[in-house]
Amino acid sequence: MKEQPVADTLQLSEADKEDQYVHQVYDEIATHFSDTRFKAWPVIERYLLGLPVGSIGADIGCGNGKYLGVRGSGDIFMVGTDRSKALVGICAQRGFECQVSDGLDLPYRDGAFDFAISIAVIHHFASPERRARAVAEVLRVVRPGGSVLVFAWALEQNGRRKFDPNTQDVLVPWVLPASKAQSSAGHGELTGEGESAQSKVFHRYYHLFRKGELQELFEQVGGCTVIENGYDRDNWYIIAQKI
Amino acid sequence: MRLITHNMLKCHVKNCTDPDKQFPLRFKDVQLEQIDAERNDEFLVRMLPRIDWPALSKTTKELDITLPETVPGNPEDDEEFLQALHTAILETHIKQGSMLCDGCGHEYKITNGIPNMLLAEHEI
Repeated sequence: MKEQPVADTLQLSEADKEDQYVHQVYDEIATHFSDTRFKAWPVIERYLLGLPVGSIGADIGCGNGKYLGVRGSGDIFMVGTDRSKALVGICAQRGFECQVSDGLDLPYRDGAFDFAISIAVIHHFASPERRARAVAEVLRVVRPGGSVLVFAWALEQNGRRKFDPNTQDVLVPWVLPASKAQSSAGHGELTGEGESAQSKVFHRYYHLFRKGELQELFEQVGGCTVIENGYDRDNWYIIAQKI
Repeated sequence: MRLITHNMLKCHVKNCTDPDKQFPLRFKDVQLEQIDAERNDEFLVRMLPRIDWPALSKTTKELDITLPETVPGNPEDDEEFLQALHTAILETHIKQGSMLCDGCGHEYKITNGIPNMLLAEHEI
């Protein structure tokens, strides 16, 4: 039976929910997750390739570093941060500049960067306040006149996944195949599928953004002008300029 | 971690807000490694405004790396400057050690070139 997303009814604090249903999960599934994250999305690629030579930027929630190497030839410099030690380790193996850091509390001085991207990250924060703080951090570390690009999962999806239009807070399954399942203790459940194989299912917390919500979030945080907003690959995205 | 990244970092512990103390972070017990990287002069010249030069100067002195006190008037024409800058910020990697905040004393560890910038609960 294919695992389906379920409504989030967890009785946990926001921090605990993120800890158990985001941080711990990514650390467990890191290698497999990284294997499936290799194709750069066109909107993001276009944004990165369009930046002026000499730009320095932050990738907040860089995962396996998929976007850190898009612009080659030393034209720009990017630093990635991610909350998952395991994913940052994969990034570092690939030669990218990266650190372990929480998106709610970035270790950068104000206005340090020319640009920042945060791709499919802020939907993992478990309250409107934390999502606003995440956006505020993305904007804080960029200089006045600099730009940011944020992508977040949409409630309205065209792909394989179909979400209940009335449920924005969900737990989305990740099936770790038996061949990749860690032997160490994790809180995923064994599915018992297959004869000898036992894959594990993990659930990740998402807040799915409805149409208009990401823009509202940016307007609420303020200090920026929305330059472009759109929908791509089941995500809402915003490009904004720091005032 | 390359020195260019270190120039962007500050201590973000709660109530640690003195800009003279929280940045730049002071290196402690570090192991450095020089790794060659292709030099891109246009990149170097154009990204210069993002570098906090006094902080870079202070840090490179601590690491015994030679860099001029101030940026020359025409950096794009200064071969020696560009090479020194490139080597310092892009080819110098801190592999092990830690970064200390002079303001609150917090120690950020660097392991295998990766800084851990997470804070404890009471520091957020």
